[in-house]
Amino acid sequence: MSSPSEQHLVALVGNPNSGKTTLFNALTGENQKVGNYSGVTVSRKSGSFRTPHGRKIELVDLPGCYSLNAQSPDEKVTRDFLIGEQDDETFPDISVCVLDASALERHLLLAMEVIELGRPVVIALNMVDLAESRGIHLDPTILSEELGVPVVPVQANKNKGTLELKQALRLPLPAIDYPKWEVSGSEAERLAARTHFIQTICGEAARRENDGTLTLTDKLDSFLLHSFTGWAALIAIMLGVFWTIFSLSSYPMDFIDESFGSIGQWAANTLPEGDFNNLIVNGVIAGIGGTLIFLPQIVLLFLFIALMEASGYMARAAFLMDRVMNLVGLSGKAFLPLLSSHACAIPGIMATRTIDSAKERLITILIAPWMSCSARLPVYFLLIAMLLPQASSLQQAGFMLGVYSLGIVTALIAARILKGRLAEDATPSHFMLELPPYRLPQLGYLLRHIWDRAWAFLKRAGTIILALSIILWALQTYPKPAKGSLASEDKSLALEQSLMGQIGHTIEPIFKPLGFDWRTSTSVLTSFAAREVFVSSLKITYSISEDIEEEEQDKLLREALAESTWPDGSKIYTPLTLLSLLIFFVYALQCLPTTAVVARETNSYNWAVGQLVGMSLFAYLAALAVFQIGTLLGF
Amino acid sequence: MKLFRRATDIQTDSAMTLAQASVGCSLRINSIKGAACDRLRSMGFCESMEVKKLSNGHNMLCTVCGTKLALNKKLAAQILVCPV
Repeated sequence: MSSPSEQHLVALVGNPNSGKTTLFNALTGENQKVGNYSGVTVSRKSGSFRTPHGRKIELVDLPGCYSLNAQSPDEKVTRDFLIGEQDDETFPDISVCVLDASALERHLLLAMEVIELGRPVVIALNMVDLAESRGIHLDPTILSEELGVPVVPVQANKNKGTLELKQALRLPLPAIDYPKWEVSGSEAERLAARTHFIQTICGEAARRENDGTLTLTDKLDSFLLHSFTGWAALIAIMLGVFWTIFSLSSYPMDFIDESFGSIGQWAANTLPEGDFNNLIVNGVIAGIGGTLIFLPQIVLLFLFIALMEASGYMARAAFLMDRVMNLVGLSGKAFLPLLSSHACAIPGIMATRTIDSAKERLITILIAPWMSCSARLPVYFLLIAMLLPQASSLQQAGFMLGVYSLGIVTALIAARILKGRLAEDATPSHFMLELPPYRLPQLGYLLRHIWDRAWAFLKRAGTIILALSIILWALQTYPKPAKGSLASEDKSLALEQSLMGQIGHTIEPIFKPLGFDWRTSTSVLTSFAAREVFVSSLKITYSISEDIEEEEQDKLLREALAESTWPDGSKIYTPLTLLSLLIFFVYALQCLPTTAVVARETNSYNWAVGQLVGMSLFAYLAALAVFQIGTLLGF
Repeated sequence: MKLFRRATDIQTDSAMTLAQASVGCSLRINSIKGAACDRLRSMGFCESMEVKKLSNGHNMLCTVCGTKLALNKKLAAQILVCPV
């Protein structure tokens, strides 16, 4: 007998859409932590609670899977964890199998595979209310007798039955030596035995009476999956989402802008004059403020994606998009990762794990960074406003849409080309997807999910971006001009003599054929660490004072750029230069965290570095072509 | 030519693939063949399970035990069914 003070490890297993995560949240409440399994980026979600007997339980939420025959990285983690081979972790003391009671026949397969492992198992029969409403009569007692393990009916979304489930987690729980259905033989024979057994017990323990009445989901689907209205709905939803993101986020963004502006002013006036004042105001506050401004957009985009997933609509979108994605050799499952990449390529690349085909997954990862992410937005805003100064906001929005499409279309063409180049999968995989019933998303879960995302972004702003801002500041401040020299009076001259200026002048010949001067080149160079740094770098290299309102800064920057000239007196920022710069930003992979994630997800530095070099080279050549051909044509 | 046919022959005769079956029919799965059979089984397409076909097309819709699934025509061609 174990002592009550000891902590026990309990694993939560279940099919996707079995309500596993809802049950996890209901059991653990606030006590959750998210980490990673070593070696893979599948996140390890665990939480803790106490049983009514006072035992402490650590609950691990394993990735959802349909069987223990590992196909995707997620499924492999689940299997390895259950057999004690993941992360040197010991066997879970108990595995809790979550089954959707309304689809028992399908979900029992996985449960039986888990029971066959010969370790203690408790079954949580979830969504019993839904099953009852569909006319399925459940008998947990018969189910428990037949399977040989405890069966607890629960309704995780209403927090019913969770106490009973906690009580059922008694230790030591006897494992079953030899399940009733198990036969020795080939995998196919064992599977046939399982299926036969399922038929028998479902006949007794889950009788289905009225099958064939139309549910609300069926009615919605007849509209949302229709070959005409379905498409109209999809397009309307997508347009609505992007319009909402851009229009709604401007309010919190203005607020962040003003706050950081006033914090900067306050710091500039309060701190004693000197290098430290300069570092805090122009390095730290400006750098972090310039990044935090994207938080509202990122939060909103994640909110919409989470809403679409939780409501069940995402699977419908994938179903509809499958035909379109097939044209370039991808399946509908690539739609979600590519859509997410419009917020940020990193969660997009992580979302490719649901794609079964290894080849298709690799292609999706490789093209994902060409979806214009939110970090490119401020650059687009600045350049488009300069390119079309007289245009109405609608025309500018149209141009913006064109810039987005440019990335998407090129990415899809690249996918088509890659499809023919890469080696085929060992087994061809075809599209197959479960369409879960529509559900009202749970607010608590949504909020937590979005908070996790926002927090990850904030951490990044506080670490990588902060460090970069300080380095950038130092590069452009030192070496300081001698007292009384001409440069000590003129800020932009001082900058030209700083380390940053020297680097900029060194690399200017590389970027000159694209129409960029040394200041722009330097800013482009800094943006390789993170794109969002570009605009603030430009402000610094063009010596726009940081201690004024952000809006005023933007205006000053546009004026400064418009007036800047080459040594021979010709304008630097001609429309052609702006276009070339815009093209460069559409295509260049200027995001180190993305490269790091690609290396982890593809388990290969070659692909990650190849992608970085390939995309940057493509960006350079595309911008070069635009500028040179444009110049030849006399623009 | 055989004069009498065994019952198993008749069953094989009436079998068709899920891809060939007409929309709206309730069907029983006879057998599953081909490369993707393990994946199909783990998704719930097992022998003697009941399937209802909801729509045709490049990707067809069907329900297995109350769960709606979308699957590619090529996969549906690997599932042999007979009407119930």
